[in-house]
Amino acid sequence: MVSSPVGLVVVSHSRPLAAAAVALAREMAPAGLLIEVAAGIDGPDGPAFGTDAVAIAAAIAAADRGSGVVVLMDLGSAVLSAELALDLLEDPDQRDRVLLCPAPLVEGLVVAAVAAAGGVGRAEVAAEATGALAAKVSQLAVEPDGVEPGGVEAPPVPPPRHPGGGAGAEPGADLEAGAASDAAAAGQRRAGERRAQERAAAVFVVTNPHGLHARPAARLVALVRRLSAATHCELRLRNRSTGSQWVPAGSMARVAVVGAEAGHEVEIEATGDGARAAVDAVLELAGRHFDEPVEAPAPTPAPPAPAPVDAPPRVLPGAPGIGVGPARGLGPPPVTVPDDPPDDPGTERARLDRALADVAVAITASRDAAARDLGPTEAAIFDAHLLLLEDPELAGRTRTAVDAGASAARAWADAVEGGATALEALPDPYLAARGADVRAVGEQVLRALLAAPGGQEGGLPEPGGGGDGGERVVLVAADLTPAQAAGLDPARVAGVVLAGGSPTAHAALLLRARGVPAVMGAGPGVLDVPDGTALALDGTTGELVVDPSPERLTALRERAAAGARRERAAGERAGEPARTRDDVHVLVGVNVGSRADAEAAAGADLVGLVRTEFLFLDRDRAPDVDEQVAAYRGVAEALDGRRITLRTLDVGGDKPLPYLPLPREANPFLGVRGIRLAGPHPALLREQLLAAVRVAHETPVSLMFPMVAALEELLAARRELDAVIAAEGRGAPAGLQVGIMVEVPAAALKAAAFVPHVDFLSIGTNDLTQYALAAERGNPAVAALADPLDPGVLRLVDAVCRAAEGRALVAVCGEAAGEEVAARLLVGLGVRELSVVPPLVAATKQVVRELDAGAAALAAAGALTADSAAAVRAAAADRPRSSGKPRC
Amino acid sequence: MSAVPTEGAVDVAALRRWIDAFAGDVAEHQEELTRLDSAIGDADHGSNLARGMKAVLAALDSERPATAGALLKRTGMTLVSTVGGASGPLYGTFFLRMGTAAGEVESLDTAALGAALRAGVGGIVARGKSELGDKTMYDALAPAVDAYDAAGDEVGAALRAASDAADRGRDATIPLQARKGRASYLGERSVGHQDPGATSAALLLGAAARTLG
Repeated sequence: MVSSPVGLVVVSHSRPLAAAAVALAREMAPAGLLIEVAAGIDGPDGPAFGTDAVAIAAAIAAADRGSGVVVLMDLGSAVLSAELALDLLEDPDQRDRVLLCPAPLVEGLVVAAVAAAGGVGRAEVAAEATGALAAKVSQLAVEPDGVEPGGVEAPPVPPPRHPGGGAGAEPGADLEAGAASDAAAAGQRRAGERRAQERAAAVFVVTNPHGLHARPAARLVALVRRLSAATHCELRLRNRSTGSQWVPAGSMARVAVVGAEAGHEVEIEATGDGARAAVDAVLELAGRHFDEPVEAPAPTPAPPAPAPVDAPPRVLPGAPGIGVGPARGLGPPPVTVPDDPPDDPGTERARLDRALADVAVAITASRDAAARDLGPTEAAIFDAHLLLLEDPELAGRTRTAVDAGASAARAWADAVEGGATALEALPDPYLAARGADVRAVGEQVLRALLAAPGGQEGGLPEPGGGGDGGERVVLVAADLTPAQAAGLDPARVAGVVLAGGSPTAHAALLLRARGVPAVMGAGPGVLDVPDGTALALDGTTGELVVDPSPERLTALRERAAAGARRERAAGERAGEPARTRDDVHVLVGVNVGSRADAEAAAGADLVGLVRTEFLFLDRDRAPDVDEQVAAYRGVAEALDGRRITLRTLDVGGDKPLPYLPLPREANPFLGVRGIRLAGPHPALLREQLLAAVRVAHETPVSLMFPMVAALEELLAARRELDAVIAAEGRGAPAGLQVGIMVEVPAAALKAAAFVPHVDFLSIGTNDLTQYALAAERGNPAVAALADPLDPGVLRLVDAVCRAAEGRALVAVCGEAAGEEVAARLLVGLGVRELSVVPPLVAATKQVVRELDAGAAALAAAGALTADSAAAVRAAAADRPRSSGKPRC
Repeated sequence: MSAVPTEGAVDVAALRRWIDAFAGDVAEHQEELTRLDSAIGDADHGSNLARGMKAVLAALDSERPATAGALLKRTGMTLVSTVGGASGPLYGTFFLRMGTAAGEVESLDTAALGAALRAGVGGIVARGKSELGDKTMYDALAPAVDAYDAAGDEVGAALRAASDAADRGRDATIPLQARKGRASYLGERSVGHQDPGATSAALLLGAAARTLG
């Protein structure tokens, strides 16, 4: 199909500036390209600086020949006016065809002109334009100290724009100079930070007989774009043999012009997080001749790439346990949409609705499992996936296309591709990463539409099915979606090996909850391991052996058997108290989100965390006091009347409840959540306290407040509690204890202020880690930073333990409590209660029993002064648990 | 359509008097607005807005819109094309949304005027993505529409309450640190200065109280 090229609109405060930019762009692109200008305003004394939304709307209408328009703007009111211009367009369909592009005006316009002339769609034009700054950034960011021979300092790198991110990043500047020096200074600081980014480079030799022609180049560009989206690093390349310029490796048009022919050396360079892994992935693809069949063996094999600066990718422990079995690549090849003629729109529509409904059921099941095993925060990813199912960009567009005669599968696949591409083109890395969610949900629905296997579990064989004779397999994958991880059956999967991933990502949490051993970060090479190859992994220590020797296999099987014996022993003694070898009593509690969880918590000394959210979610009104009393009583009964720790409602603006209107916040995790809800919604807290007090008259109850940052928050909550107790008129319940969650770093450092007012402090290591390292573990690009064993986090834990010593119990109810290495350090720091998911209660008690608290304190003291989480983990691996054997 | 205005209603002629009065106020305070903007912005708010309102008067003179909606929309479209700076799309959106909410009627009662004002302010929020306390015109407008709605059925009293609230909102921007627009680049140094956008917004409500009540 031949369609007219995408039109471009230039919005600038200055008419001469816009005209010059257009002239520059026209030199690079053939005539016939539609570039319209809306720049300056007509003042009383002639043209003046400014922007005019009416003129912009007219320019858009003039530039649109049906393929849509990409708008490039300079600054400040140009952006506001362009947004307003969209409102002024009369044709709503035309509005949908307009993309406001965040690219810098000059660079973006030139690249957009080249891309548009090349006939690509508007999303790709916008993406190419947005990437136009990359070459400049990487060129300037890597110069040592940014000082050129002429003594000119490198100009600042523009800051990324964070939605609602406050000062400095918002549009609003006008052209006249004034305060620009401040912005420039801030920019230079940022540039300095950027220079410290990870950087990796390597050289490969093109072995494809026809060089990097269209097909291999397309494979390369596709990989680079995936990598850039997943890792936030920028890749560029140049032809070293011809001495070509550096070009962005994610741009098809630019890669083609380096003219890499067979035998040429191509240099690839990555800058940013994950640079090393990204370069490795490209080398991997180059080693496979970019997946092009090469008839004769290459005359000389490509010389090995220069040794990487750092060691080859480490294998990280992902989920504890030992797994041995034949490798099994994840699932069938990507679903392709067949060219079958579509049925009538009614049938296709019904097919779509059925697939969406089926997938909604599957995702809801995953969400409920995750909420039960991990809590509502971890389950939130599935809520996002559910929302995507009814996203107008996806379902709406699909229905429109179906009504126009397309098959449901084709229409859905196109809508997903468009939606994901548009997200991935956004400059905000968090939003760009959401493209992966769109693709994950997209594939799930597509499989349902085509009745392809693996909609939920990524194509795993049914029990006993497939060619593995029912043997448990070791699943090998690039990464797992949360839905895939939640759907794995330990009866069929002996272990998981991920090329990417991170121990703190959702997939790892879900695998731990499922009890499936896993290692992560194994590097892309692992994906080439043929199905059926024997694999052995130890997810506790982070070891992976491909095709292990019989001796190695025997040793691992023995270790696995020893682990199983240990587990059995632990199970038999689950109900006994856990005392270290030097007789320090450590309580081992269980985290529950329902009565069913509590019933599965064999042997727990107490419930260390009741996520009371389970009562409040998925309903139209809050549970009343009686319902809460019944629910809390049920949890206590399941534990034979042992102590239960009720955490008051912990929700925020990221997940408002229908009956709890919360304002939309730009940053809900730094907004009104946890105890902060007590201000706007006092009745909610009062009723929950009343229910807790009533249950506390029957059975031992600990009450804790989440997200406490300031002492006054605790004091206010305690006053409310006193008022409730007084109103009940039965006096303070004898077994009632009061504590706070320590999740905010400031609260950890101020622990001494809280101690006189609490019976216990429970450290929520998940959130404390995320807040302390400013890294969200659901974001794969930064998840690796969010390691609870980071010495910075351990110091916060240490501060709490020292402040509380002898005066209040310190508990940990985050994931770290159930990770063996972390649990030993936590006890060493002075934590005396570990609260874990139900399947880990017995094993955690056994970890305590094998520990010498004195030795653990020494190890913990060393960890506090380590310089990285990796160093902490390495030291822990070299210092085996007291009764354990040295590591193989 | 009935030409008999309701008691206390605001008709097209009154709205025109409001626009005239606002244009006069902006011209009179042009120096002050520019001075405020030179402290924390780019010193063009007064001149930009004065230029825009002058163009609005010319457009209304030549076109003489017959309905509230048409008058307000013409005002908004003219501002969009002639102000040039960020206040163009912001005030432009305010009047466009207000005009859409008002509809093609010859007069507005107290409730309809309130709804139109609220729609206009909603447009400013949507366009500027501003929140209370960002040190923007929204800090004057938000309390104004709340006060208007709380003041009861008499349009004059409601507009006086709105104007008073806008003045207080404007004054309250002084200790704030700017989080939007050019002023946000100054960070803490924006503290201690009255926001020019909130100042012109208070003029807008002041003009309304004088002419529509």
